[in-house]
Amino acid sequence: MEYLQILFAPIFGGLIYGVERVVRARMQNRIGPPILQPFYDMYKLFGKEPFMVNNYHIVFALMHLLTLWIAVGLIILGENFLYVIFIHLLSSIFLVLAGYSVNSTYSHIGSNRELLSIVAYEPILILVAVGFYILNSSFDIDIIRAHSSQISLLFLLFLAFLLVIPIKLKKSPFDAAEAHQEIVGGIEVEFSGVFFEIVYMAKWIEYIFIYSILLLFAGDSFLYGSLLFFGVFLIVNLVDNSTARIKIENLLQITLTLGLLLGIVNLVFIGIGV
Amino acid sequence: MSEYVLMLIFLPLIFAVTVLFNSLRIRNIATYLFVSFLVIISLKLFFTTEIIELNFNHLVHLVFLVLDFILLGYFVYQGVKYKDKLISLFAIVQIALFIVFLQFSSTILSNDIVVDRISRVMLLVINIIGGVIILYSLKYIQSEEFKACKKNLFISILFFFIGVMNLIVTTNNIEIFFLAFEFTTLCSYILIRFRNDELSIQNARKALWMNQIGGIAILLSLLSGIYYYDTIYFDTLIQNINGLFLLPISLLVLAAFVKGASIPFDKWLLGAMVAPTPVSAILHSATMVKIAPYLILKIAPAFSPTISLAVMIFGTFVFMTASLLALGKDFFKEILGLSTIALLALMMSIAALGTPEAINICLILIVFHAISKALLFLQAGVLEKVYHLKYLQDIDYLVSRSKLIVFFIVIGFASLTLPPFGAFIGKFASIELIASLINTNIFYILPLVFILIGSVFLTLLYFKVLTKLIAQDNKVYEKISIDLTYIVTSFILVGLLCFGIYVSYLYNFMTHLEILLATVLILTTFVMLFFVNFKNIKKVSAYNCGEKDTIKLSAYYFEVSDKYKELIFYISLFLIGLIVYMGMI
Repeated sequence: MEYLQILFAPIFGGLIYGVERVVRARMQNRIGPPILQPFYDMYKLFGKEPFMVNNYHIVFALMHLLTLWIAVGLIILGENFLYVIFIHLLSSIFLVLAGYSVNSTYSHIGSNRELLSIVAYEPILILVAVGFYILNSSFDIDIIRAHSSQISLLFLLFLAFLLVIPIKLKKSPFDAAEAHQEIVGGIEVEFSGVFFEIVYMAKWIEYIFIYSILLLFAGDSFLYGSLLFFGVFLIVNLVDNSTARIKIENLLQITLTLGLLLGIVNLVFIGIGV
Repeated sequence: MSEYVLMLIFLPLIFAVTVLFNSLRIRNIATYLFVSFLVIISLKLFFTTEIIELNFNHLVHLVFLVLDFILLGYFVYQGVKYKDKLISLFAIVQIALFIVFLQFSSTILSNDIVVDRISRVMLLVINIIGGVIILYSLKYIQSEEFKACKKNLFISILFFFIGVMNLIVTTNNIEIFFLAFEFTTLCSYILIRFRNDELSIQNARKALWMNQIGGIAILLSLLSGIYYYDTIYFDTLIQNINGLFLLPISLLVLAAFVKGASIPFDKWLLGAMVAPTPVSAILHSATMVKIAPYLILKIAPAFSPTISLAVMIFGTFVFMTASLLALGKDFFKEILGLSTIALLALMMSIAALGTPEAINICLILIVFHAISKALLFLQAGVLEKVYHLKYLQDIDYLVSRSKLIVFFIVIGFASLTLPPFGAFIGKFASIELIASLINTNIFYILPLVFILIGSVFLTLLYFKVLTKLIAQDNKVYEKISIDLTYIVTSFILVGLLCFGIYVSYLYNFMTHLEILLATVLILTTFVMLFFVNFKNIKKVSAYNCGEKDTIKLSAYYFEVSDKYKELIFYISLFLIGLIVYMGMI
């Protein structure tokens, strides 16, 4: 069962992505594409003649997809949370290297910004993991999921994690790394055809990654989980629709001050409380 | 077994003399033999499990005493010669303190040499990685414009350095520790000023006076050790330690932070960059700075909980700020240098915990940091000698010129930040360890946050350097052949890194699945990069939104303003002062 979940993770991600596009369109008073649009895109992209700039570019993109998929797989299997975060870091580094390996300004700017956004969210993710560790005395996701919801104890960390979601999902106001209108998608710009589909699919998996970490806050409760998922999903898209992009340095300032502060205060509280 | 220890300490001195007088060919062959000899002995020692203890006889002690005076006298002479008041002042203070020290004698006696597990690991690092660097310098020094005898002298000093290092990590007598400490200061002084130009001499002098602060701290620690505990040995001092009188310990911590070039004392290590590159390689990886975490490991059992926490907070603070400062640098060696300072501070803070798990983590960090840094510095040397590149902004499209060098650099950086390599495992385990301590003392959150921020800064640093390295263009570059010595020594280090993955597999810091998975991922990447050719796919040049301008790539720099640099300096000065003060009350 778990292995099936892992296998179909990109498809779930694609569905979430499809629904999201519809929801966003409705918020803007548009009808929007069909829910299955991401898969139609996929079909079309697979049919195209493949072009490549150089083989490093492709290899790193492939490894990015594979590593990210494995990270999600490890979450589903309930492995060590801290390790999952670092495997995810590895996958992000692969993407950054892919961006660097071509001789293209947009791609390089995108990679540099992606690297900076890693600086922005990585400490918060680890603080979240440490928060769970203090409560459960273990980094194992299995054990975290077996407990009842701990969101009330980790509320500030949860708020800090909310800052991470738009960074990872490339949502406004934290989407400077991709910034279509400005740097034409950043790292994505040099990919085409099948290889673009690889990067595209990795994005779907990123959805699963970030939302399954979100679900850890709900513990073993299905009800909390679905409430949390739909609530955050709506909030993220609402914010995406209603805010303007901020610069990457402001993003760093916000997460490294506000985000870290929230995390630290929360850790102090549970550290004293236990 | 004890004869092996003596061999490791004294044979390098004989080797040093031998390579001094020989022709190039004999020198090279002899060096290969000597290095393999040292490696074999250190391996043999590593696989014994007993604790080796032995004493020097009276005569050797007398020789050491005379050497102490000669050495300090030489420092005074250098100070007078270059009209450097600080050097002569510190040297004279040391002579005075040493004479005072000789007036006292202690009654609680112990062994001069004690080789425990920590020492054995250190011996392994010093002899294997130091040996590889010596082999590399055989070739490197030939490309410098020195006279033949001076080239031999270079190799000879490196051997001497290794001998002194072997002494410093095996001795249990703080007096001998002081002598060896001063000898490493001497070695670094001579090596840094090896080029003998104005800048080299200036930087060497800086290294000399800063390191003498460490010497003074050790002498004061000796005196207070005799005063409070009536002993000059590490083990008896630690056994009899009383939480009320920690001055000997906190002074040794100060000495460690001086040697480890932690932030208020960081200038000497960065100044050392002017020397030939193997000097940086050996200072940063196998010798000199590694004394710092070793010393903390050794004395950590005597720490009171407050001192341990203070050392930890200070160490992780330096880890974070040194990584931050490195983000603004453009000189390749300087980037490596600041990241060494950062990682050393991390090792020291983990060592300060003193639990068996912390000791293991610290040892893992020491070993793998040494391998990675040696590898990176060897590449810095190749870049300088073969490609005449020193600054990041000049290193464009390196991958189109030499895939191999880029491979080594990428491996070097990846091994410091990413799974499954040793240094990563050390960092991973230390986060886990500190997280488990937050329940006991809430202040551990501070080091935790410093480590998290510091390690993302380091990740940013390492991979932003790659911006220009791995970008490919379509120009055809003239092929430059790289000497076999450079390549073979680098491959040995890469091999050691891979072997390290196996070792960490044995030690269970992470589950086997976790290590295997990351290994497979990294391996697949390299196999695909080097061996898979996408022949059927049409190649196009980069789209770049149709822009036709020539592209000039550049990396990000994050310069810290002088105001904050000063602030960092004073905060760290305050923290180290606080630690010493804690010992006094």
